[in-house]
Amino acid sequence: MIRIRDLLVRVGSFELPVKNLDVSDNDWVVITGRSGSGKTVFLETIAGFFTPESGSIILDGADITSLPPEKRGISIVFQYYSLFPHMTARENIGYGLKLRNNPEIHTIVSDYARMLGIDSLLDRSPAQLSGGEKQRVAIARALVVNPKLLLLDEPASALDHETRRSLWNDLCSLHDRGDLTIIHVTHDRNEAEVLGNRRIIIDGGKFVE
Amino acid sequence: MNRPDLFTSVCIFAGSLPVLLIILGLLVLTGLQVADPETFIDAILDPSVIDSILLTFTAAACSTLILFAIGTPLAYLLSRQKFPLKSVVEGLIDLPLVIPHTVAGIIVYLLCMRQGLLGLPGSLVGIRFEETIAGIIIAMLFVSVPYYVNTVREGFSRVPVRLEQVARSLGATPGRAFVQISLPLTTRHILTGGLMAWGRGVSEFAAVVMIAYHPMIISTLIYQRFNTGGLYAATAVAFVMVVFSLLLFVFIRILGGRLLSEVR
Repeated sequence: MIRIRDLLVRVGSFELPVKNLDVSDNDWVVITGRSGSGKTVFLETIAGFFTPESGSIILDGADITSLPPEKRGISIVFQYYSLFPHMTARENIGYGLKLRNNPEIHTIVSDYARMLGIDSLLDRSPAQLSGGEKQRVAIARALVVNPKLLLLDEPASALDHETRRSLWNDLCSLHDRGDLTIIHVTHDRNEAEVLGNRRIIIDGGKFVE
Repeated sequence: MNRPDLFTSVCIFAGSLPVLLIILGLLVLTGLQVADPETFIDAILDPSVIDSILLTFTAAACSTLILFAIGTPLAYLLSRQKFPLKSVVEGLIDLPLVIPHTVAGIIVYLLCMRQGLLGLPGSLVGIRFEETIAGIIIAMLFVSVPYYVNTVREGFSRVPVRLEQVARSLGATPGRAFVQISLPLTTRHILTGGLMAWGRGVSEFAAVVMIAYHPMIISTLIYQRFNTGGLYAATAVAFVMVVFSLLLFVFIRILGGRLLSEVR
């Protein structure tokens, strides 16, 4: 469970206050709002890329507000995939497991790849993948490390209609398997209505549920 | 092939002039050797010429290796961080590009002479810069810093910060994210910057000669031959240097190409 209390994030002249937000285990919270409303800044603060001016972020009872990203156990998937271009799809997915010297790396990577329908693409480089395939690799890479929380930043926005629908289905299947808490930001109202079990709108720096 | 339009023709004409200038210079230099092969053969068999070329290449390689170690972190910081007086630091790095080489030589001498800011502590631990290869390396390093740092900074700027952020979220420390993500993706710029810095070091004369006339790097030797033996004695040594440099540059380009394809 993640608890956010009296958070104030300041990036340049932009300020984002978050009074209170609780996300229970296995929740899928979808946050919408206009461009520039602070959705991505909010996710990046939870991930640890920004340090808030004040307030606290508690994850599973531990205060992670000032922990570096690598110690938070939170994975993030960005809109434009952010795959490592010098690695194959297999190496991308296995990156976090390799950092942990996980001996089961081959099996785990194959399992997730099969789950997301990209098992035949594992030896390709990111340049040889379509947008939807890239995003599936990015999702698998984020999930194999078994994160306490998955952050999705406009994961389907760069995809065409068909691929977007297919990715939504995959995300729903992964969430339905259980043990996956998601905070998902999107500017797409349709996506916000279809996905998740809670919806929050950021409006004028305020969170409205 | 389609007939080039007017703009392309102007580009071809203008672009061919600097290439032609280099080719003409090389032809004149080669012509002199063909007209007087004995002087050329004497030069190529002269151990002091070969030693001088090896010294020049080695000293430039050492300064480039030092730049790999200290210039790469600087380039990374400049590409990633905002800090007070950043533009002053950037201006300082560019300074060796615009100051006359003799001025660079004076600065290096003032730093490295026996009572200098580097020379004094150096002499306490047994390192002398005046008339030594250490002085040559420092002078080459001083003039080649902007070539390396600016090229590598451009390389790091092309690596999206998001890639490092993803690596961090997956468990990589900042150092690991740098070594495993940013550094491999900057290989091309690091190799190009290294080659440019090395070439700049090899070509330096004024800055080196002020701190170390001896041991003679090749440009000092050519200058000395010109003063003592005249133009023909100097051109023979110069031609040997051109041939060596050309062979080495081609070799490095091929090696660099192979390294890059392996990285990809």
